[in-house]
Amino acid sequence: MSIPILLFLTFTLLLVLALAWAVRPPKKIVLSVDDLFNALSERRHYARLPQILQSLREDDSGFLSRSGHQALARQLRRDRKRIALSYLNYLEQEYQLLLELSRLLVKIAPEVSLMDEFQRFRLNVRFVLCCRYLRWKLRLGLQPWTSFTTLSDMEGNMTLQLEMATTQIGERAAIAADFPLFLEDRRRHSE
Amino acid sequence: MPQPFLHDIPSALAALLEAVLLFYLIRRKLVRLYPAFFLYIVTVILQSCLWHAAAWYWYPLQLQAWTIYWSSQAVVIFTRWLAITEIARHVLADYSGIRRMATRILFVVGTCVLLYALLVSRYIWTLMVLNADRAVELCIATLVVGMFLFARYYRLPMLDLERQLAIGFCLYSCAWVINDSILEHWHGTHWDFLNYVNILAFLASLLLWIGAVRGAQQPRNLPVSERLSPESYGELSAKLNSRLLLLNNRLDHMFRSGDSR
Repeated sequence: MSIPILLFLTFTLLLVLALAWAVRPPKKIVLSVDDLFNALSERRHYARLPQILQSLREDDSGFLSRSGHQALARQLRRDRKRIALSYLNYLEQEYQLLLELSRLLVKIAPEVSLMDEFQRFRLNVRFVLCCRYLRWKLRLGLQPWTSFTTLSDMEGNMTLQLEMATTQIGERAAIAADFPLFLEDRRRHSE
Repeated sequence: MPQPFLHDIPSALAALLEAVLLFYLIRRKLVRLYPAFFLYIVTVILQSCLWHAAAWYWYPLQLQAWTIYWSSQAVVIFTRWLAITEIARHVLADYSGIRRMATRILFVVGTCVLLYALLVSRYIWTLMVLNADRAVELCIATLVVGMFLFARYYRLPMLDLERQLAIGFCLYSCAWVINDSILEHWHGTHWDFLNYVNILAFLASLLLWIGAVRGAQQPRNLPVSERLSPESYGELSAKLNSRLLLLNNRLDHMFRSGDSR
């Protein structure tokens, strides 16, 4: 069998697999426009990154180890790892919420920027991969400083993008609201 | 037409199922909502009649019969294309932003797949029709999968009827691609067997569609919570205006602090 025919068959198989994955009904996540604004106005978890990074530093546990408190140092590392993992979970939840809200925004927006959507999709893939990598790194007891900063930055970027998008919609709504007033003014002037 | 009995059973069954599908489409009053799908089924029935008449008239099969078959197949593919576009339009109807974006992306992807399929195919004039058919079928299958991916990514609600119609179209197109590819490899020596496989794929699609059309209760029954109601829009608008006001106030503060320096 020639390579083009094999490629066609492989492509078709991939299409069938993609179809099987895509036809599953999506998760029922009911979010309102209120959630969008709440999510944007709340204090986010990424803001607590400095404290988390501080807690993950080796200085304290190193000092305890050096001063002969090995068990306490181990306990401290375990607890801090647990905290870091739960911080990561919260970060992921927040990211997913923002992603859901961005979908909601796209649904109600009359015009969608292709580049923004592509960038968001790319960020999403990157975030998911980074998150998994970081989780494993933490579980294996490795130092995750750089990855943590990257993840937090990504979530911050997502929030910024959403804020910009809501502002754009708001501007349109404001223009639409002002338009009758503008007509009214013109009518008064002409009178 | 003096063909083996086994070959006539699937054809007869397909004709019967097509008639049943038409009956349910009319009975459920879905013809007005899905005119392109109705047209597609009618075209398929007409093609089947035409092909059997041509095969009977020019038996053993001659070039004229094949010309009629492939010409009518072009019409059937076109109506299938219309039916798929109709489903996509229904799914994306309420989301103008997503619809515009999806149309652009799917157009580019579809064109790329079509060109790729044509470029990769072998340039033998006897296989030209087969290659063109495969390219179009691959393009259709890709577009249906693309539509599903969009719907899934943006959590777009989709009627079961539309979902199953699209699945049927996609699987049938995939069957055609496999069929045409294997036919190209075997140089048409196993035409009868492959045609049999293709009819089976079509039968499966017909059964799926009949089940979907039978189960369709309301023409449009989307969950209301997924749509932006006028109340929600008013709420959104008010909040956005207050947010804009806040931004304006902040801008004022910045100007004032800039002046005071």
